[in-house]
Parts: sequence; structure tokens; C-alpha cells
Amino acid sequence: MTTEIDTDRTLNGGTDRVSTRTLTTAGVARRRLRDPSRHPVRSALKHVLLGLGVLTTLYPVLWMVVSSLRPDGQIFGNPSIIPTDFHSENYAYGWTALGKPFSLYLWNSAIVVAGSIVGNLVSCSMAAYAFARLRFRFQGPAFAYMLVTIMIPVHVLIVPQYVLWAQLGLVGTFLPLILPKLLATDAFFIFLMVQFIRGLPKELDEAARIDGAGHGRIFFQILLPLMKPALATTAIFTFIWTWNDFFTQLIYLTDPKLYTVPIALRSFIDAQSQSSFGGMFAMSVVAVIPLILAFAFGQKHLVQGIATTGLK
Amino acid sequence: MNTTIRRISVGIVAAASVLGLAACGVSKAPAAGGGEAAELSDEPVSLRVMWWGGDARHERTQKVFDLFEEKHPNITIEPEFSDWNGYWEKLATATAGGNSADVMQMDQLYLASYADRGSLVDLGQYDQLKTDGLEPSVLDMGRWEDALYAMPISTTSTAAIVNMDVIDQVGVPLPDTSTWTWDEFGEWAAEVTEASGGAVYGTAQLGNEYQLQLVARQMEDALFEDGKIAIEPETLAAYFQLGLDWITSGATPSASYMAEQASLPIDQSDFAVGKSATVFTSSTLITAYAAASGAHLELVPIPTLDGDKTKYDYFKPGMYWSVSSKSEHPAEAALLIDFLVNDPEAGKIIGTERGIPANSDVIDALEADLTAEEKKTVAFAESRTSKLGEAPAIVPNGASDIQTILLRYQQEVNFERQTPIDAANALIAEIESSITAAG
Amino acid sequence: MSIAELRQLAQNRGRGRSARSTPDNKAALAFLGPWVIGAVLLTLGPILASLYLAFTDYNLLESANWIGTANFERMLTDARLHKSLLVTFVYVIVGVPGQLVVALGLALMLDRGLRGRAFYRSAFYLPSLLGSSVAIAVLWRLVFGGDGLVNASLALIGIQTDMSWIGNPDTSLLTIILLHIWTFGSPMVIFLAGLRQIPTELYEAAATDGASTWRRFGAITLPLLTPIIFFNLVLAIINSFSSFTQAFIVSGGTGAPSDSLLFYTLYLYQEGFGSFRMGYASALAWLLVLIIGVITGINFWLSKYWVHYDD
Repeated sequence: MTTEIDTDRTLNGGTDRVSTRTLTTAGVARRRLRDPSRHPVRSALKHVLLGLGVLTTLYPVLWMVVSSLRPDGQIFGNPSIIPTDFHSENYAYGWTALGKPFSLYLWNSAIVVAGSIVGNLVSCSMAAYAFARLRFRFQGPAFAYMLVTIMIPVHVLIVPQYVLWAQLGLVGTFLPLILPKLLATDAFFIFLMVQFIRGLPKELDEAARIDGAGHGRIFFQILLPLMKPALATTAIFTFIWTWNDFFTQLIYLTDPKLYTVPIALRSFIDAQSQSSFGGMFAMSVVAVIPLILAFAFGQKHLVQGIATTGLK
Repeated sequence: MNTTIRRISVGIVAAASVLGLAACGVSKAPAAGGGEAAELSDEPVSLRVMWWGGDARHERTQKVFDLFEEKHPNITIEPEFSDWNGYWEKLATATAGGNSADVMQMDQLYLASYADRGSLVDLGQYDQLKTDGLEPSVLDMGRWEDALYAMPISTTSTAAIVNMDVIDQVGVPLPDTSTWTWDEFGEWAAEVTEASGGAVYGTAQLGNEYQLQLVARQMEDALFEDGKIAIEPETLAAYFQLGLDWITSGATPSASYMAEQASLPIDQSDFAVGKSATVFTSSTLITAYAAASGAHLELVPIPTLDGDKTKYDYFKPGMYWSVSSKSEHPAEAALLIDFLVNDPEAGKIIGTERGIPANSDVIDALEADLTAEEKKTVAFAESRTSKLGEAPAIVPNGASDIQTILLRYQQEVNFERQTPIDAANALIAEIESSITAAG
Repeated sequence: MSIAELRQLAQNRGRGRSARSTPDNKAALAFLGPWVIGAVLLTLGPILASLYLAFTDYNLLESANWIGTANFERMLTDARLHKSLLVTFVYVIVGVPGQLVVALGLALMLDRGLRGRAFYRSAFYLPSLLGSSVAIAVLWRLVFGGDGLVNASLALIGIQTDMSWIGNPDTSLLTIILLHIWTFGSPMVIFLAGLRQIPTELYEAAATDGASTWRRFGAITLPLLTPIIFFNLVLAIINSFSSFTQAFIVSGGTGAPSDSLLFYTLYLYQEGFGSFRMGYASALAWLLVLIIGVITGINFWLSKYWVHYDD
């Protein structure tokens, strides 16, 4: 009998495959007694609390969706989230922002995001392994330097970096946005994965080493599968942050045919003439859907259990 | 890591830094366009053009480019447009990286900053660009230290836009707007608020550098002169005091209400939704406000001290075209600007998207196609020509943030955190040190 | 085999030969290769450049001239800088714990045994997806404006006010702090991932030993979660000090009203790009690095006492 909570508890690549079912039968019976769902009052209270929380977090988003279906003049001053109109013109209008169909911007953003995710996943996990599991000269200073790169505001680095890319003739392409990710410049994720790896018992490494595995095998076959939550987190966050990143994309992309979603969204609000909030909300809704999908899809991997216990 | 690797790394680092630093800046180029040929070339030429705006502007500008490319088959144009947000950061970064576009749209706030630092070309040297279709006082506002660094595209004037429908509704008739004084205006605005029970406010506050310039000139003062800030503290304090008085009398809403409004776009502002009877702004914006409010709006002169007797007014270029000092084809760039600003065909395509054209011939060509609101703008401009004084000094190098600084001190006074005279002194000191530092 | 037996085995084997004394330099180079290239070519150069620029009068458009420590001297008397430090510190001190507590609390509630938690997770994460979009400014005004929801809700319980929470310099920072706490999704997700890494067997073992929920939390969850709590704390502090986008969007880039939203990096941005004082902005950036560096260093030093690593 399995519970709804734990999934996929087998250890990949290990020699011992132990099903958790046989292990935990006794414990499960005992645990059922303490299962919160057996305490209706406590669980109801939880749901009420969570429900209130959901209301506050969902409300603005719902309002945005509903507003995107209202004509421009009726958006402001109307806080209700009950849809009263279905003006899809906002979507039609917003779709041709800056003279091109919005799908162009979605596609461009997708390219940048895909490159960034691949880059971060590969380079940051490798770097994290080195910092967490290896010992080497200058390790301390290198780690400190890595943290410093997170602390410096992008606005002062942008000009020297721009000069660099301009000298290489790469301004106006996607490369200044993607290449840094392939070179592990997103130290946030390196640090994240370092913390995750340090939470995994070193005994796993030792066991593999005893079996004759080198660093490569330890990393790829032992640790990486166990780092699914960290990897999923990295992928999701990279997706979302890159998808929403306005400033660097604005600076490096000169050709409007390469513009991405954040740049296109800002174009709806013009300080000097008429703005189209209906259009902006409509396209914001369109732009947020991939993020929601990415999160919905990724969070499954995020909360997949891992089995350090497979060794037992 | 062994020493060889270490040495190589140090070498790379040093190279990178030197690379970065050496390229970090354009050396102060002489006013002449870097010695490039002032003649048109027969070779294929490509020009990058950068501007800000909305969809309509992008579309129309592209059409003009197509027309231009037909007439000059050896020139191709690469458009780079974005909206106002981020435009200046993009331009500054690109210029810093030696990678700016050949032709760029420019604004009066930043003109001197770019010109003084050698980033722009003196357009006066290029015969391809004709300047006689423009009013001399307008053309002068594209000059910095006697060289023409920016070609004005359009002109605008400051007006008070009044919402006749709301005024009729509230039932407090306007005074004679051709001679009204600030006192009369203040009283009238306060009356409007009272009569409507607070549902409608008499006016919004004065809020920008253009308006400050006008008020200063009304008091026979000037905001800038000789590349320095020249306004007297008392004049500036009077400007702040005016705003504060309006809050106290109820002519305008409270300080925090107005602070919240400040970030709203035009079509959501109080005036556009009928909650305010007056707004002080650029006369060309009547089009946007009329569309947003659907009400009957009129352009009237702003109040004065003496019933509009002094010649204090001036037309301000809405925006300009400039050429980068690093452009390899300044002559072709000048040719393009000439086409954009002076050619009646091009003018017809762009219409009033960039404002009322600065070239009077182009205005004539457009006459028939103007909308009712645009006609009002043109008529208003014509009505002001008799009140024009000499063109003021443009915003000097180091004062490009005058707009934000002005608003900040205005808020300090509004929230009664500083007295008008203290705020005035502080503002002047801040701008002074900023100009000196920009050197 | 149990973990204990494995450890024994390893030790036995280890006694037979000398412990590894050579550091893993070659392996490190292989794994760190991309990072080294990126660190040196893409970041070190610009970082050194910005350090150099901090001692110059760089204005973006002309070559930089050395001016020694003048920028740093200016910092001592720069009232707006002090204001921005105040604003930022208040934001960090209130916002960081606020957000992390909410994030942790909800992560715990959503970890196991709750029906519909996938839905809750997604719902709670939504604000983080929107947090930096232009729509936020509009939404924020809707909630905290003079005619906004907060005032409407207050009216429901009898408090009549039309105060603009965002237009008033005394309360505007509070609205941004709330905005920050509202986007608790990111740390929450990281906590969830960390909670997932705690083997359930430990809970089961504790349950069979008769431990209560609170004891399980205190003895298992909290200690094993400490590396993640530490990570979130360090990053939350760093990110809060560098917070820019939300204040920028809500105040239209001005820090208004009355500089009440003048976050440190917003001030830096204004100085660098708005006023063309990139030399001073670079100096400000390094002051920020110093501040964050010191605080992070203290964090790391303190971590010895409360963070539990399994290695």
C-alpha cells in the first residue's frame, strides 16, 4: 500500500534497489494515526487559512485576466473580478504590438530562455559539484568571488560588458544574453546547487568510489539524479527570470525583429500619448501563460522525492 | 592551479580590463564630423536610425524610409525603434560602447549633454540639410555653442487645456483667458472645486521645466543662461509657492493624491476622466486628451502676471534628429534628416505623429488633413506668435535631470517638508554643482 | 546495508592506504572550466573596470579621468545617498524576515499530506511570476491607491479613509515591503525542494518512536533544512539590498513620492544613467558590495553555529 505522498523512491544506477513499500509498511500504519487528514478540525482550519492566502495571491492575477476582457475605459476603478464583458479586441489589438504579431516576441523570448536554461543547468551544476565536493587551490577565494558577482548591481557592469560585446561585434544578437549562461555567470544557481549537494551525504560518493567510480561517474550517475529538485528549481527560475528580464534585453537587442516579450510589453505604456492598458493586460496574460505552464510542469519534478534511503 | 595557468589567467584579465577601459568612452571629438567626407558617396551606404515612439510612429516612419530608399537606391536604412522607457539608457550605453546609431531622435533635455561631450555632429557643415524652412528662434534651440547639433522636427507650445463640458456642468464660468492673471486663475480654480463639492478639481499643478521657464520669463528671469542655472531663488520660490497655495485653497487635490497620480498615463489622469477642469501641458496633447475624455476641450494661454502683455512665450522643439559623431556617413545622414524634416511628401506621411512640424511649408502641405484638435493646436500656435520672446538657453550639460529634480522639490514643498525658498535654494545649489561636475 | 555499516566499511578500507592528500585540482578544472572562462572573460574584466571607474569622473560619453577618492568623499555628505541607505535598510530588515517566514510557513503546510497542494503551490507562486512586470504598477495602485481595495476593505470594518497609501511618503515604503512579501513564491519553492530532500524514513522512524509533530519538526525538519534556510537567507539579503525593479516600476523610476522609494540601486541607476555620473554610480556599486559583503560574511561566519551539513 502506497501513500499519495511518495513517488519514485528508487535509486538510479545504484546496485541496491529497495522498494520503500516493504520497508515502510509498519511505519505507514503507525503514521496513519497521525495523518492530519484524520483531524478534520485542524485540516479544515488549514484549508481556510490557505484559502485566504490563495485569495490574496490570486486576486491580482484574476483581476488582470478579467480586465483584459474589458474595454480600456472600464478597466480602472473597477476592482471586481467577476467578468462582465468579453471584449476580445484587446487581444486582437495587443497581438500586433510594434507592428508585428506578438508570436514573434514569444518566439524570440523562447529562444533566449531555452539557451539560458540549458546553459545554466549544465554549467552551474558542474561548477557546484566542484565547489561542494572537490578540494582545490584557491577554492575559498573563488567561492567568495562567485558570491561577489551576485552582489554587484547589473547597472554598473552593463557598460563595460556592453563594450566587450561591442568589440566582439555581437551586440544586436541573442548571444550576449545566452553565452554568459553557458559560462556559469548566474552564480545564484551555483550557490543553490552547492547547498543542495552539501545536503547529500558524502557516504554516497564514498560508496561509489569504493566501486571504482571517478568524479565523472559520481557526478553524473549518483549526484545529478538526486539533485532533481535543485535542477528543476534552476530551470524554473531561469525560465521565469529570463522571460521577464527587461533591461539587458533592451540594451543588447537593437533590431526590432529580435525584440522579446518584456520589451514589447513596455511599448503599450507610452508616457507621451495614448496608452493601451487593455492591450497590455491582454498581452501580459498571454505572456504569463508560458510561465504558469513552465511552473506547473516543472513543479512535478521539484517535489519528486529522492531516495538517499535506497542504500538501506 | 599551476603557475602557467595562473599567468595566462592574469594575462586574460589584464587584457579584458584594458579592452574594457580603453573602449569606455569617446574622446572629445571636435565639432566637425571627425573629418569624414561632406560629400555623398556613390557606394552602398547603410544608416542605422534610432527613435522612440508608439506603433503609429514606427509604421509611418518606415513608410518614409521606403520612400527615401527609392529616391536614393544606394542607401539602406536599418530602423531601431523602442518606446520612451529605456531609450536613453540604450542610447547612452550604445554611445559608451562606440556603437550608437548614425541618426538618433534627440530631446532638449539631453542635447547639450551629448553635444558638449562630443557625441554629436555639427549639422551646419552639411549642405544636404536645409534649414531655412524653420523659424530662426526654433532652429536656435538646436544649437549649442553656435553649432547646430540637432535639427528640430516639430514644435510645441505650453497651453492650459480646459474642459468646457466639465466647466459648464459645474457652473463656474471661465474668466477672460486672454488676459487672466495667476491670482484670477487661482481663485477661479478654487471656486470650481468648491462648487462641485470636491467632485471636480479646478486644476492640476504646474509640473515641468518648460512651464517653469515660462513663469520665470514672465517674471523677467531666465532658467538657464550661458550654460549655467540663472534663475533667482525668489522666482523659483514663487513658482513653488503657487503650487502650495493651490493645494491649500483646494484648487488642486492633496499632495499625496497628486503623488499617486504622477505615475498615471495621460488617459487615466484626472483631466482625462473629467475630474479636473484644467491641465497645463504641451498644446499637441489636446489630441490625446480629447480622445481619452471625449469632451469638448479648448486650448487657452496660461495665466500671466500682467494680463499677457510681456513677450515671454516661446516655441519649444518637441524633438530633434541628431547624427552621431562616430557615424561613417554623416553626409548621407544629413540627407536623410533633410528628407524627414523638410520634404512635404514625407511630412504628409508622418503627419503630426511627432508633433506640429517645425517646417512651415510642411504644415501648409498638411493643412487639409489636420483633425479638429490638430487645427486647434496650429491655431493656438499662430495666436502666440505675437507674444514670442527670444529663444531661451537650452538645458545645459549636467542639468539633464532638471525635470526629475524639479518634481522632487515640488513634492517636498507640497508635503510641507521644505519651505518654498529653502527648496528653491537647494534646487539651485544641486543643479549648480551638477553642471560644474559635468564640466 | 545501513549507512553506518557503509561508513565502517569505508574506514576499514581507508586504513589500508594513506588518505588522499593531493587536492582534486585537475578534476576541479574540468568541472569549473566554463565557470572560469565566464568568470574571467565576462565578469572579472567588467568588475575590474567598474572598480577603476569608481575613481573616475566617467560620464558614459567621454573617456574617464582619474579623480582619486573624490566620489567616495562625496558619499559622506550626499543626503540622497543617506536617504537611500535608510530606505533600503528598512526594506531589508522588515521585508526579508517577513517574506521568509511566510515562505517557510507555507512550504511546511504544503509539503506533505495536504489535499490539493499542487494547486496551492501554483497559486502561491503566481505573484512571483508577475512581480517584475509593468502590470504590477497598475495592480498596486488598484490595491493601495486612494480609491483602492485596502481602503474599501477598511470601510467595510468601519474605518473611513481615502488616504493614498502609495502617494503618501510615510506609507509608500510599506506598500513595497508588502509587495515583496507577496512574492514569497521563490523562497517557498526552494524550501519545498529542500523539504523534499529530507528522507521520509527519518520521519517514519521518529513516528515509530512516538515523537509528536512538533518534535519531528524540531529534531528532523529544522536541522536538515538549515542549509536551505541559510541559502534563502543569504540570497534574500543580497537580493533585497539590490532590489530595483519593483520600486522602479511603481514609482516610475523616480523614487517618488519625496524619495520615499529611493532604493539604493534606484539611486545608483539615476546617478549613472539619468545624470551621466557613471563614475559616482560605480563607486556607489562598490559601497553596496562592501555592505552586502560584510553582512554576508557575518552570515557565513554565524552559520557554523546553526547550519547542519551532512558532510
